[in-house]
Amino acid sequence: MSTDTTPDTTIDMNLDRHILRRTDGNDEEIVVNFGPQHPSTHGVINFVTQTNGEVIRRSVPEIGYLHRGLEKIGELVAYPGYMPFTDRIDYLAAMFANEGYAVAVERLLGIEAPLRAQYIRAISCELCRIASHFISIGTMAQDIGAATPLTHALRERESINDLLEELCGARLTYNFLRIGGVAFDVPVGWTDKVLRFLDHLESYIQEWDRLITFNKIFVKRLAGVGVITRDQAIDYGLVGPNLRGSGVKFDIRRDMPYGAYPNFEFNIPVGTGKVGTVGDCWDRFFVRVQEVVESSKIIRQAIAKLPEGDIQAKVARKLKPEVGEAVGQVESARGEMLYYIVSDGSEKAYRLRVRTGSFMAMGIIEELSHGIMVADLIAIIASLDVVAPEVDR
Amino acid sequence: MPMTEALREYFGHITDVVKTFWEGMTVTLSYMVRRPITVQYPDRTAQRVADTLPSRYRGLLEVDINVCTGCMACERACPISVIKISTDKDPSNLKQRVIAQFDIDESKCMFCGLCVEPCPTGAIQHTREFESTMKSVDNLVFRWIPDPKNPAPFYRPVKGQDAPRAPVGEILRQRMAKADWTARGGIFPVTGPERKG
Amino acid sequence: MRITLGLDSTSLTRRYPRLAVLATLFMAFVAPLGLYIGALVFFPLNTPERLDAMAKQWLGFDLAASHYRHLVYAVFLLLVAFVAVNFTAVFGGVSTWVERRVAGRMQSRIGPNRTSAAGFLAWVADAVKMVLKEDTVPASADQLLFRGAPYFSMVGLLLPFVVMPFGESVVATNMNVGVFYIMAVTAFVVVGILISGWSSNSNWALFGAVRGAAQVISYEIPAGIALMVPVLMAGSLSMQDIVRAQGGMPWDWFVFRNPAAFVAFFISVTSSLAEGNRTPFDLPEAESELVAGYHAEYSGFRLAIFLMVEWANMWIMAGLAVTLFLGGWQVPFVASETYKAALGAGLVPTPSWFGLQALSMLVFSLKTWGLVIVFIWLRWTLPRVRVDQMMSLCWKYLVPGAFLCFVVTLLWQLLVPPLGNTVTGVVLSLVAFVLLAKFLLATYRNIGRVKGDRVDLTNW
Repeated sequence: MSTDTTPDTTIDMNLDRHILRRTDGNDEEIVVNFGPQHPSTHGVINFVTQTNGEVIRRSVPEIGYLHRGLEKIGELVAYPGYMPFTDRIDYLAAMFANEGYAVAVERLLGIEAPLRAQYIRAISCELCRIASHFISIGTMAQDIGAATPLTHALRERESINDLLEELCGARLTYNFLRIGGVAFDVPVGWTDKVLRFLDHLESYIQEWDRLITFNKIFVKRLAGVGVITRDQAIDYGLVGPNLRGSGVKFDIRRDMPYGAYPNFEFNIPVGTGKVGTVGDCWDRFFVRVQEVVESSKIIRQAIAKLPEGDIQAKVARKLKPEVGEAVGQVESARGEMLYYIVSDGSEKAYRLRVRTGSFMAMGIIEELSHGIMVADLIAIIASLDVVAPEVDR
Repeated sequence: MPMTEALREYFGHITDVVKTFWEGMTVTLSYMVRRPITVQYPDRTAQRVADTLPSRYRGLLEVDINVCTGCMACERACPISVIKISTDKDPSNLKQRVIAQFDIDESKCMFCGLCVEPCPTGAIQHTREFESTMKSVDNLVFRWIPDPKNPAPFYRPVKGQDAPRAPVGEILRQRMAKADWTARGGIFPVTGPERKG
Repeated sequence: MRITLGLDSTSLTRRYPRLAVLATLFMAFVAPLGLYIGALVFFPLNTPERLDAMAKQWLGFDLAASHYRHLVYAVFLLLVAFVAVNFTAVFGGVSTWVERRVAGRMQSRIGPNRTSAAGFLAWVADAVKMVLKEDTVPASADQLLFRGAPYFSMVGLLLPFVVMPFGESVVATNMNVGVFYIMAVTAFVVVGILISGWSSNSNWALFGAVRGAAQVISYEIPAGIALMVPVLMAGSLSMQDIVRAQGGMPWDWFVFRNPAAFVAFFISVTSSLAEGNRTPFDLPEAESELVAGYHAEYSGFRLAIFLMVEWANMWIMAGLAVTLFLGGWQVPFVASETYKAALGAGLVPTPSWFGLQALSMLVFSLKTWGLVIVFIWLRWTLPRVRVDQMMSLCWKYLVPGAFLCFVVTLLWQLLVPPLGNTVTGVVLSLVAFVLLAKFLLATYRNIGRVKGDRVDLTNW
C-alpha cells in the first residue's frame, strides 16, 4: 500500500464524467465523489477525491452546481432593481452583499449615504455577521460530529432573524439597503430589543465555549489540521476569517474603511495557534467566535451614538450614472466582498462582477488535500466557511 | 526528564477528556429543563402566526384596487416583471381610464418590496399572510381585477388627504376565508374563459 | 382557515383523539409490558426440571418419562426466543422514541409529539414505513451477500439475550460461561458490517465497513479485559453468579468495591460505546462524512434491521455494564434467602416468588434504562473522534489501562481482606454521590449563567 502523498501527474482529470482516472492502470486507489449532495459540503459542491484507504491523495473541487447567472442578471436589470438579487449572492450574510453593491454604485454616482443611514447599515450588518458566524460555527461543529451546538447556534440566530424581520420585513433575503441609504428607519423600541439580545448573547458565548470550543475531542480534531501559513493565505487570495486565522491582521473595516466604521473601536481577532499551529482549523473557528463578540461591541457603540438625520440620500428614480467604473469592497462575514461595476451611461450596468471570499477559499482546498484523511477534508471545508451560493453566484 | 514530561502529558490528556465530558454534559443536561424554542405551528400556537408577525413583514401582496391610480410604477419597479397591468379607456366615459387587468404572479414574486415603495397611494402593500398553498401553480396568480368585464376606474387622489385604503391585509384575508382553494383560480376564482397572459 | 388540497387530509389522530390516546396507551404499556410479563413467566421456567415439575403439578403429566419431552422443551425454547426477539424489536423502537425526545430537548426543541399522544407511536409508524418501502438491491452488488448481511448483525444482537439476567431467575439460560459467551457472540455484528460494506460495491459503504471493522475489532480487547475484572472479583464467568456476588445497595456494587473496578467500569463503557458504534465512536456511519457508511445502499426492511441492531445494542451494552458492575437485578434490602423462601418447597414457583422476580426485573430495567439514557446523552453532547485518534485511544490508553486494572484486581483479591472491600465500597460510593451532587449543582448553575434563561418545563 503506497503512502506516497505527492500530487500525481499520471492522473487524467476527466471532470465531465466525475472521475479522476489513473493513466497507468493502477487501481489500488479509489475515487469518491464527495457530493454534490452531501451533508457537509455546505451547499452543492462536488469534491472529486482520490483516496488510498483513509488517506487522500488529491481532492479537486468541482463547482457550478448553484450557478444562477447573477452577474449576467446585473446587466439585464436596472441599478435599483438589482438589490434583491444581491441578497441571493450570499443568502447567509445578505446584508453585506447589499452593502457592497450599494457602496459600489454610490461610488459610481459620487454620492454618500447620510450618517444615520450609515450607522443603521453598520448595526444591521454586524447583526448579520453574528448570524452568519453562528451558522458557520454551528455547521462546523456538526460536521465534526456534535449535533447539539448546531441547533443552539440556530436558536441564537433566530433571535437575530426576528430582530431583522422587525427592521426590514424579511428574515433571510433582506433587501434592506438602498442606493444612497437604507429603506426603513429603525422602529420604535427596536434598539432596546437589540441591546437585550446582546446582553443574552455575550453570556451565551461563554456557554458555547464550554460546550464545544474548548471540548477536548473537538480541539484534537482541529488542532494542527489544514494549516495555512501566512504566505500561503496571501498567495491564494484568502480573505476574512480564513486570512486572519493565519495570523494576517487585515480587515477592510480597518484598512480600507467605509461607512461608519471609522467611528467605532473594536479589535481584529487573529489566529494565534492557541491549541495547535497558527492557521489551523481551530484558529479559524476561534477567530469567528471572537468576531461575534467584537460585532456585539460595535453594535453597542453604534446604538449609543446613533445620530439623527435622513435615512436616504436623494437619488433619481431612474439611475443613469456617468460612463465609468467603480469598486465597492466590504468586509463580509466570509471575507472581502468586492463589487466591480462598469457603467456605459445607461440605466443598466454594462458589467457587474462580484468577487467573494468563498470562491477564493475553494482554490486552496486542493493544495491542502494532499495526504490528509477524509475526516480532515471535511474539517477543512467547514473551517474555510465555504458556501455554495458565494462560490457559484 | 522526557519520561516525566511524557507521563504528565499522558495523564493530562485523560484529565482534559474527563473535564471536557463534565462541562459538555452539564450544559446539555441543563437544556433538558429549559424551554424549547419550537413554535408548534399551526395548531398549538397561542395566536394565529400571521398575526404575531411584525407589521413590516413582507408577505403576500395585496392591492386595494379602489385606490389604485393606474400609474404602473409598481410594474416598472419590479425587477422580474411579476406584475402585469393593462389599462383601457372606459367605453361609457371616454375621459376616464380604467384598469382592465392587474395580475400579480405570486409564484414568481421574490417578496422584495420594490413595488410597494413607489406606489403614490399605498394601494399595493405587503400583508402578513404567507400561507398560500394551492392545488396548482396557476392558482398563484392573484387577479386583482377578477372579472375583465368589470374594470376598476383610476383613482384620483385628493390633494392634502391620504387615500382611503382598506386596512392592510383585510381584503386578502376576507378572500382567503371564503375561498375554495381547490377551485380553478384558487382564491381568485376564474369565472370566464381561460385568459392568456 | 384550513389548508386543504381537495381531500380531507386531517389525520386519524386529529379526528379521533380518544382513540389515539387509547392506541398509544395500548402500545406503550401492553406491548412492552406484555413482553416483560412474557419474559418474567417464561424465562425462569425454561429449565427441564421446572418444566417437569410444572407438568406434574398442574397437568398431572409425567414429562420426564415421556418420549416427547424434548419436543416440549424445544417448543418452550421457541417461546422464550420469541419473547426475546420481540423484546429486542420493541426496545429498539421505544429507545428511538426516547432518544428523539431527549435529543430534542437537549437541542432546545421538541422531539416527535404529534403521531399519537406524546409522539410515542412514531417508532411504529417508522417501522411500518420501512417495511413498505421499495427493496432496492444495487445491480452491481453481490446479490446473496447483500441480502444476507443484515441478518448476521441481527444474530450478533440477539444471541446475548440468551444469558442476559433480567431478574433473579429471569434468564433464558444460566450458562456457566456467560461472560465468555457474550464476548464471543457480539463479534457477529462486525461480520454483518463488513459483509454489507463489501457486498454493496460502493466506495462509501466500503469506507464505513472498513472503519467499522477496525474499530470493533480493536475495542474487543479492552472490553474483554475490563470485563475480566468483575469475573475475578466474583470468581465465576456466569452472569448470575456475578450478580449474586454483589448486593442491592450502591456500596455493594462491584464498581465501588475496588478502585480498579471503578476504572474498569469506565473502560468497559467506553469500549462498549465503540463496539456499538455510538458517538463519540460512530465513524462507520458518520452521518456528516459518509452519509450512511456501511448501510448506505440499504433500504426498506434490511435497513430497518441495521437500525434496530444499532439501537437495541444499547440494551446489551447497558445491560452488560449493569450486570457486571452496577449490581444487576439486586434489589436493595432483599437478600437471596428471601427468594429461596418464597420459592416454597417444590420447584414450581409461587405467586410471591414471581412478585419478587418482577421486583428484581424492575430494578434491572431501571438501571439499564438509566444507563441507556446516559448513552443517549453522550451521543448528543460530544463530537466524533477521527479514525487514527480512535485507534490511538484504544491501543495507547484503554488497553494499558485495562491491563493495569486487571493486574491490580488480581493483587487486590489476593491481598486485601473482605473488610477492605466494604470500606472501599462505602468510601467510593460516597465519593460518587458527592460528584453527582456537584454535577447537578453545576447543571443548575448553567441555567443562571446565561442571561434570560431559566428553568421552564413548558412546551412539550
